[in-house]
Amino acid sequence: MQASQTVLERRYAALGLLLIAPTVLVFCAVIVYPLVSAIYLSLFSIFTPTLQGEWVGLDNYRTLLAKDEFWSSLVNNLIWTVGTLTLQILLGVGMALVLHQNIWFRSLARSLILFPYFISTVVAVLVWKWLFNDLYGILNHLMLAVGMIDMPVDYLGTMPNAMISVILVGAWKFFPFVVIAVLARLQTIPDALYEAARIDGAGPIARFFDVTLPQLRDVLVVIIMLRAIWDFKEFDMIYLLTGGGPITSTQTLPLLVYKEAFALNQMGMAAAYAVVMMLIMLVFMIVYIRRTRQEADT
Amino acid sequence: MIRRVAFNLFAWGIVLAVAFPLFWMLVTSVKPQFELFRRPPTFLPETWTLEHYIRLIQDTPFLTYFKNSIILSTATTLVVVAISTLGAYSLVRFKYRGRESLAFLVLFTYLLPSVVLIIPLYLMLVSMGLSNTIFSLVIAYTTFALPYALWLLRSFMAGIPEDLESAALVDGASRMGAFVDVILPQLLPGIISTALFTFILSWNEYLYALVLVNSDSARPLTTGVMNMLVSSFNIEWSLLMAASVMMSVPLIIVFAFLQSYLTRGFGAGGVKG
Repeated sequence: MQASQTVLERRYAALGLLLIAPTVLVFCAVIVYPLVSAIYLSLFSIFTPTLQGEWVGLDNYRTLLAKDEFWSSLVNNLIWTVGTLTLQILLGVGMALVLHQNIWFRSLARSLILFPYFISTVVAVLVWKWLFNDLYGILNHLMLAVGMIDMPVDYLGTMPNAMISVILVGAWKFFPFVVIAVLARLQTIPDALYEAARIDGAGPIARFFDVTLPQLRDVLVVIIMLRAIWDFKEFDMIYLLTGGGPITSTQTLPLLVYKEAFALNQMGMAAAYAVVMMLIMLVFMIVYIRRTRQEADT
Repeated sequence: MIRRVAFNLFAWGIVLAVAFPLFWMLVTSVKPQFELFRRPPTFLPETWTLEHYIRLIQDTPFLTYFKNSIILSTATTLVVVAISTLGAYSLVRFKYRGRESLAFLVLFTYLLPSVVLIIPLYLMLVSMGLSNTIFSLVIAYTTFALPYALWLLRSFMAGIPEDLESAALVDGASRMGAFVDVILPQLLPGIISTALFTFILSWNEYLYALVLVNSDSARPLTTGVMNMLVSSFNIEWSLLMAASVMMSVPLIIVFAFLQSYLTRGFGAGGVKG
């Protein structure tokens, strides 16, 4: 009996390995191998069109750390991430609280709110570029009509407008993620907690800070970490809206990697930028993964 | 009562403000070109027209892009969902050495930025002679779609009670027999929602398409439509808005019919992580 058990267990383990084999193969081919070669490539100087490489060791990293462009891109990256993330969280939590109430046509309202998150960034950018249009854009027209501005504004071509616009469009596109996540959590808060707070004489604002917010804390931490990682590595939105411009005022690290590799044709240097960017993100990633693992264990 | 009405108006005010860009996209796409330059702009079109949609289909490579996107997203979804269903089953229900590290690797790659992988992937696909093909994009899309699908399906799989499988095994089913007869039907909602998310993700991808494909015959919608903006001397906003609407139609269909699946997927993977 004991022996047959282990035979069966061994056969199960073999079956388990067989089932995971396709995943492991694909992972090695398209993720692990490229990841390792990205690190390896960063030690070379490679000219993209000919793909001729020359070993330069850590020179790329030395050049990179001495370059102003790297540091300014990092600063831009942080401004974009913190700015858009803050707006996403504030808007997202606020909207979730509103949609949690019993408003008219609630499910329609929820669908409309979710929509920006599901459309392609390309569509979002095209629409916003049309809204931002300096001569015929509706945004300039409305703001002129209300009297907020005296002259049409150049939303994407000057600073600090370009950075503000990118942050705002980013918040518009990605805040629905926060709404869904918070809404799902709100629905699980027991009504009894609110009843108890009401009996104790807490008003709506006190109830929010004493009941809702502590209950939302865990989910908010997860959302903030995930969105921080995703916003930090965002490429499409910024590249398509401003292309990093004016000049390099909205250029973030992912855009810098792309420019170095495919516009300046320096693959090795680009790989070095990418590796450094990954190292910065690694801090967030490890914190997030640790947390997920802890949750899985408890 | 007045407070309730006021709150409703306030709530719907915000909802409509958020949805306004999408409304504007729709309105612009059915206005004739000359009406766009009216000042003040007309809120609803004075003359409704479908000329931009017709022009889009007849005079631009839009349909080729559309077809490419359909093939690309469907192929990616099928490959990824097939591999990850087996993989998730193995990760959740089998015990072997390295299982935990593998799960960790999946989560790690799920968070990995595309720009890190794109340089070596580009070199790899060029040296294999695969650049400018839809197939090369399927390979590239696997890099983000597979970890994502695995992670989602893993949490769906973990939600299926283990007793169901044990009962089938006691009744004499083989492990794979139990998987097909017991697990798969239970997992179906999870598989559908994972497939939908993977499809949306592939449909909307831009960076890999930008780098790997450089010919109209293999270009998907994202880079194709963006090209129409960049390459035109005189930007035809109505045409671009019509393209944006058409490009979002498959997403609207997915979204409207399967909203319950979508929200379930969000709860399982996107949030709990």
